[in-house]
Amino acid sequence: MPMYGDQGNKLVQHAKRTQNLAHLPPYQTELVRGVTREVRDLDKDVASLLEPFQGSFDPSADQATACTLLVNHLSMRRNKRCLLAYHRTRTDKLEELAWAGSDVLDHAGQQPGGANNAALVDGGASSLSPQEEDYFRQFGDLLAACKGQWTDIDLTGSLEPPRDLFIDVRVLKDAGEIQTEYGAINLTKNSQFYVRQGDVERLVAQGYLQKLA
Amino acid sequence: MSYYDIDSILTDAEKIPCTFQVGIPDLGYLDNTPSQPLKAGTKVSLPLWLAEMLAIANTGDIEGKSFVAFDLPPALGNDVIQALKADPRAVPLRDQSAHFYGLATHMMELSEEQELGAVLRKTFVTRASEIALHARKVGGVGHKKEDASNLGIGGAGEEFLRGLDEWERRLFRQAHEGAKAGKQWMENIKRS
Repeated sequence: MPMYGDQGNKLVQHAKRTQNLAHLPPYQTELVRGVTREVRDLDKDVASLLEPFQGSFDPSADQATACTLLVNHLSMRRNKRCLLAYHRTRTDKLEELAWAGSDVLDHAGQQPGGANNAALVDGGASSLSPQEEDYFRQFGDLLAACKGQWTDIDLTGSLEPPRDLFIDVRVLKDAGEIQTEYGAINLTKNSQFYVRQGDVERLVAQGYLQKLA
Repeated sequence: MSYYDIDSILTDAEKIPCTFQVGIPDLGYLDNTPSQPLKAGTKVSLPLWLAEMLAIANTGDIEGKSFVAFDLPPALGNDVIQALKADPRAVPLRDQSAHFYGLATHMMELSEEQELGAVLRKTFVTRASEIALHARKVGGVGHKKEDASNLGIGGAGEEFLRGLDEWERRLFRQAHEGAKAGKQWMENIKRS
């Protein structure tokens, strides 16, 4: 028999799994909705329990009701904690991904099959909730603002000094044309280039190009 | 133990056996009988997050009786404790509870078990050295298995490692990664 808090527990188990994954699994819209609904139901129960007392409830006079209220309250509190923890785990992950320079919004689109679906995913295939997409975008903006204000240091860049100025890269998926100091390069799938590392770092991080040793 | 700590939340979901001391008409669903009142003296197992507060809440009763009385969960039962006393390494803690130590510390806060603390301390110390040993061994021998993220290791220690509780697993992983990183650093130094 399901009990209050069971759904919240499922959410936290999802969060636990998320911690050990490199990517972000799909957002559990149904579960989140279920848990919030549970909280609302509990709140209604509490309101109807308290109604006959007209705001003058004395716990020691009616222990049974007091206990029911306590159980309801604790269940709500538990659900709140589960919800917050679940979302926090995901936002932590999102921030991590933003720092690593990977494009989550993009990643969602290229699940098996549609490799070229680079545009923002509207609904369906995305593993982020709309709010999370917003969060990720704005966090990315913040990072970019940090970079722009003082220097042109790329905060998310690698800390390893490059060995060579130029590197060999292979194109894993079409990335269109990019401009470099030496003119434009057209990055089509499966082609290979010898390019300046600084020009393509971003694309390597995003998984368009592969660095060849 | 942060509010957002996933493991601590999961620990709070562990169930412990409780006995209701007060009859409560509306809580029948806790005993699988939603239509009937919950009678005083009913035994139900409740998750820690519920049981804890119910057990310490002040009911306003003159005798200071609380809503529920609780017992130690089977994971901390007498036979487990006896087995731990005999040889901590031989007990797969995970079979008792995935969050064995978390559960135990919680229970110790709630009840006055003198002996439990000492037994647990000895258990952890003994097992920790064993864990460290395994963690080093894995990093040293199995080069190919280094990328296996979890406890994917064969051999003699497998049985023991499967019985680690969540906390011990983390310890193992950290010890393992520490040894690995140390080795990697040494190799890099030699090369450059």
